[in-house]
Amino acid sequence: MNGEQSGASGTIGSVAELLVHALELEHEAATHYEGLADSMASHHNAEVAALFRRLARRSSERAGDLADRAAGLQLPHIAPWSFKWNCPGNPSDPDCLHAEVGYRMRAVQALRLAIHNERRSHAFYLQVAGSAGEPVVRQLAAELAAVQTEHLTWLADLLAREALTDRPLPEDLDPPQLP
Amino acid sequence: MVPPVVALVFSDVAGIASTSVGRTGARDGIRPGASPIPRPSVQTNSELADRPHTRRDPLPIRHERPLALAVTGSGGNGALTAGMILLAAVARAGLYGLLTRSAGPQIRGGESAAMLRFGPEPLACIGDRIDLLLALDWANHLRFSEELPLARTSLVLADPAAGTLPPVIAASGAALHPIALRAAARRYCDGRTNMVAVGVVGAVAGLPLAALLQGAAESLAPKGEAIVTAATACIRAGFAVVHGEATVTAAEASCPPAALARWNISGNEAAGLGALRGGVRFVAAYPITPASDLLEWLAPRLPRLGGLLIQAEDELAAINMVIGSSFGGVPALTATSGPGLSLMSEGLGLAVASETPIVVANVMRGGPSTGIPTKSEQADLDLALYGLHGDAPHLVLAPLDIADCAFTFDWATRLTERLQVPAIVLSDQALGQARAICDPPPAAPALAGRERAVPGAGGYARYAASIDGVSPMAVPGEPGHMYTAEGLEHNARGTPSSMAADHCRQLDKRWHKLVAHNYGPTWADIDGCLDSHPAALLTGAAPGGLCLITWGSSRGAVVEAAERLRRDGWLVRVIALRLLAPLQQAALRAAIAGAGAVLVVELNHRGQLFRYLHAQEVLPTTARVLAHPGPLPLRPAEIIAAVQALEDAPVA
Amino acid sequence: MDSTAIPSLGARDYKSDLKPVWCPGCGHFAVLSALTRTLAFLALPKHRIAVISGIGCSSRLPAYLDCYGFHGLHGRALPLATGLKAARPDLTVIVTGGDGDGFSIGGNHFLHACRRNLDLTYIVMDNQVYGMTKGQASPTTRPDWRRSRLTPEGTGMQRFKPAAIALAAGAGFIARGFAGDPNGLSHLLAQAIEYPGFAFVQVLSPCQTFRPESREWKTRVHPCAGAPARDPATAAQLMLTDDGMALGLLYAQVLPPFESQPRLEGDDLAAIEAEFAL
Repeated sequence: MNGEQSGASGTIGSVAELLVHALELEHEAATHYEGLADSMASHHNAEVAALFRRLARRSSERAGDLADRAAGLQLPHIAPWSFKWNCPGNPSDPDCLHAEVGYRMRAVQALRLAIHNERRSHAFYLQVAGSAGEPVVRQLAAELAAVQTEHLTWLADLLAREALTDRPLPEDLDPPQLP
Repeated sequence: MVPPVVALVFSDVAGIASTSVGRTGARDGIRPGASPIPRPSVQTNSELADRPHTRRDPLPIRHERPLALAVTGSGGNGALTAGMILLAAVARAGLYGLLTRSAGPQIRGGESAAMLRFGPEPLACIGDRIDLLLALDWANHLRFSEELPLARTSLVLADPAAGTLPPVIAASGAALHPIALRAAARRYCDGRTNMVAVGVVGAVAGLPLAALLQGAAESLAPKGEAIVTAATACIRAGFAVVHGEATVTAAEASCPPAALARWNISGNEAAGLGALRGGVRFVAAYPITPASDLLEWLAPRLPRLGGLLIQAEDELAAINMVIGSSFGGVPALTATSGPGLSLMSEGLGLAVASETPIVVANVMRGGPSTGIPTKSEQADLDLALYGLHGDAPHLVLAPLDIADCAFTFDWATRLTERLQVPAIVLSDQALGQARAICDPPPAAPALAGRERAVPGAGGYARYAASIDGVSPMAVPGEPGHMYTAEGLEHNARGTPSSMAADHCRQLDKRWHKLVAHNYGPTWADIDGCLDSHPAALLTGAAPGGLCLITWGSSRGAVVEAAERLRRDGWLVRVIALRLLAPLQQAALRAAIAGAGAVLVVELNHRGQLFRYLHAQEVLPTTARVLAHPGPLPLRPAEIIAAVQALEDAPVA
Repeated sequence: MDSTAIPSLGARDYKSDLKPVWCPGCGHFAVLSALTRTLAFLALPKHRIAVISGIGCSSRLPAYLDCYGFHGLHGRALPLATGLKAARPDLTVIVTGGDGDGFSIGGNHFLHACRRNLDLTYIVMDNQVYGMTKGQASPTTRPDWRRSRLTPEGTGMQRFKPAAIALAAGAGFIARGFAGDPNGLSHLLAQAIEYPGFAFVQVLSPCQTFRPESREWKTRVHPCAGAPARDPATAAQLMLTDDGMALGLLYAQVLPPFESQPRLEGDDLAAIEAEFAL
C-alpha cells in the first residue's frame, strides 16, 4: 500500500533535492526512535529505551553531517507527500505498525526493526545512484548508500551479539487488563 | 375607600351603546331584547338585567396605590398583550409597575393571565391580592385561580357571555361587575376583546386614556398602523364603558413621553443587557423555557456589538462552546433552566479546572425533572452550590429584582473575568418573564478585567501560583505563550499531573482566588440594618430586632413585608443575598448580629438557603425558615404571618 | 515541487517537550508526526493554531504540540472548538480525538458539527477500541469482537460508519487516512486544513495493545477507487459499499460555510440600552 497513495514519481535532479530527501529520512528516523525510546522508558524497558536513544542519536548525527553538506545550498521545500522515494515501501515511513514493536520487545526486535528501516533507506540511495540523470547526484547517492551500508553493518553486528543471549519475550506480569 | 359591592349590573352594555365610538346603526343589536348575551349564572338582579339601558351604575374607579390588577383568559385571547399595553400605560402615567404572567405549558391556548401592580414607588413584589380582575373568559380559570387571590375588597369584571362564573370567584366575596366585552368588541372593534378590556380595566384602575392609547401605540407598533388604529378604537370604547363617552384631544392623545428616566424592561432582557455591559460577546445555548427569551433578546443584539449567538445542539454543547469562546478571549455566557443546568454540570467542572471564565444563567422553574416549566421556583440553589463534581469552587449569584438582573449579570461577568472562574447566576421565571417600569439599573462596580499573559523570561506557566491565586491567561493568537488548557489535574505549566502536591496546590489556588477577592458591599442588599438602625449593630442587641434573610427574587415580598412591619412599629432589617458563593460569612454574621429573631425566606420546599446558611455556621440556632415551593409566589402577608408566629413561639 | 522559500519552522518545532503516554507502536505517533509535518509544510504560525480534544488516548495529542490547545471533556471537543472558532475565526482550529470520544459520547456533536460547517478540521484516530479505559468495544468495533470483558459476547451492534454518517449529516469534506501511510495522511490533513469548512478525516490508527490484530490493517487498506466523489449520491454509494479500508479523499464539495458575524468596531451598547427608555 505504501507508496501507492503518496510519493511522486520522477527522478531526483539535484544535489539539493537529494539532500532534502536524505535529511527527511534521518529526521524522521530520529523522531521515530526517540518516540520509541520515550515510550519504552515509560514502560520501564530501560534496555531497549537506551538502544532506541542510541539509534536516534546516530540518526541525528547523520542528519548533522547532511546539514553540513547542505550548507550554502538553496534547499527545496518539499511537501511530505511529494518526496520521490521511487522504491518499494516508503523509506520515510516510520513503520509504526512493524509487527515486533511492543512494550515487551527486546533489543533483538528493536534491532530487526532498525535494520528493516535502514535497508529501505539503503535501497533508496542505491536506486538514486543508479537512475539519477546528474552524475553529481549519482555520486552523492552512492556515497550515502555506502554510509548506510556501514550503518547496517554496525546494526548487524549488534544484532548478532544480542542474538547470542536472546530469550523469548518476557511474560507480561501486569497486563493492561487486570481484573 | 373600598367601594361597595356592586351586584351584577349590565350597566356597561348601556355604557357602550351610549358612546359615539363604533359603527352607527348598530344600536338595535344591543337592545336588551335582542341581546345575545346570556345572563350570568350567579345571583342576578333580574330586574336590573331586564332594563340595563335604563340604569347606569358607574363602575367604581380604584385610585388606591399600589394597585394590583389582572387580565385573564384562555391562552391566545390576548390577556398577555393587554398586560403589556397596561404596563406601558402605567409608565406613560408616570408610575412604576411590575407585570408578571402566568401561562400553561401549551404553545398557545390553555390559560394565561397578566398580573400588573403599579404605583408611585418602584415595585418588586406582586403583593397579596388582586384588587381588580378582568376575565376575558372563565375557561381554565381554576388552573391559576390560586395565583390570583381575591379579597372582599377586590373587584371582578367579567363578560356574562364568557361562560359560567367559577365558584371560587363567587366564594371570594369580591364584587362582580359584568362587562359585555365581546358584544362591544364584535360591534365596534372587529372583535378585539382584549383591547376593549384594556380600555375598561385601565379606566377602572384610574389610568388616563391618553396613557392607555400611548401604551397601545408603543406596544403594538411592530404590528402595523392598522392594528394600532383598531386597538385605539377598542380602548376608547372600553374606556367609555366606565367614563361615558371618552374623548381625548389630539394633543392629549399624543401625550409626550413622561420626562422620567425610567425603563420598561423584563428580567430576561435585563439579564442579557447586564451580560453585554459586563463584556459578554459570545452566547451559545439550547432553547429552554423560561430562558429562551433571554437568548432571543440577545441574538439580534450581539452582532451589533461584534458578537455572536449560536443555537447549540444541546446543553452539553452549549457550555463547551462558551468555554471555547472564553478560551479564545471572548467573554461568553450560556443561559438555561434547571434540567439544562444539570446537563452542564460536567462543563462547569471543566471551567473550574481549566480556570476559564464563563457565565451560566439559570432562569429557574419548578423542578425536579421537567417539573413546571412555565412557573417559578427557587429550588436550584442546591444544584448551583453543590452540583459540581470534585472540589470545585465557583461563583453563585442571584439577582434581587428585575432591574437588578442587569446589575447582577454585569457584576457576575466582571467577576468571572477577573477571577477566571465560572459563575452560575440564579434568576427565575418570576424575574425573567416579568416586566417592570423601573429606574435604569446602575452599572456594576468596575473590576480589573482578565489578567493577560505578558512576555517574560522562561516558559509560560498558565497555572502558576500567585498572591491572589489568579494567574495571567494567554489568549490564542499571542506568540510566546502557547499552552494547553487542561481538565486533567495539572501542574503550574498545565502539564497533567496526578501527584498529591500538584493537586493540593491547584485546589488551594482555585479556592484562594475566590475567597481572597474583595467583593465590596454588593454581596447583599441590606435594608434597615446599617443605615436605619445603626444602634442595632453597635449594641448587638436591639430588642425586638427582626432579621429577615432572603435571596434572589424573593427579596421583593420580603422588603414589602418589612416595610409593613416597620409601619407597625417593628425594628426590621432585611438581608438579601446577591452573592451566594463564596458566602461572605464574616460580613453576613456582622449583618445578622444583634437580631432578636432571624427568619430565612425563600421559594422552595425545604429551605435550601436556610440549610446552606446553617452549614456555613452563620445562623443562630433560633433562626427559622419560611419556605414554600412554587409556583405560587411569596406574598408579604404570609411573611408577616410567619413573623408573627415566630414572635408567638417561645424562643430559647 | 515547490522550490520557494525554506519554511522557517520544521516539523519538530511544532512539538512540545512533553512525552506521549501512548504505547510503543501506537498508530497515534504517526498521526502526530503527520500533523506536525503538515503544519510545518503549511508554514502556519504556531501561536495561531489551536488544537482541541476530548478524552482518550488520541485526545492527549494537543499537549504534544507547541501550539495553543485545550484538553477538555470526553466527547465535547467539537463544541468547545465550535465556540472557539466562532468567536475567533482568525485562528486555525483543529480537533483531535478517538472513535469513542467522537462517535459514541460525542456522537450528537459530530452530527451537528457536520451540519454547521464551521471551518474546523476534525481528525478522528479510529482504533476501534477504548484504549484509555483498557480495551472496551467502541462504536466502530465489530459486533462479534469478544475480547472485552464488558461485552464478552460482543456488542451485537452494527458498526458506526463514520464517513457515511458525516455525509448524511452534511459534511463537505470527508477523508480516510491510515497511520501506516503518514505521507498520504499528511496530504489529506493539508487539504483538510485548507478546506474552507468542516473537514472530517478518519484515520485508521491501530492499537498495538488492545487490538494487536489491527497491525494487519496495512495489508487490508487500499486506495479508494473513484474518489473523491463530487456529489453526495455517488459518495453515499462509495461509502456504503466500501470495506471501511478505502483510503483517500472520499468526498469533497465546497458548501456554504457557517457565517461568523463580522466583528464590528465601535460599541453600540448605548443604542441598545435606549430601547428600554420610556
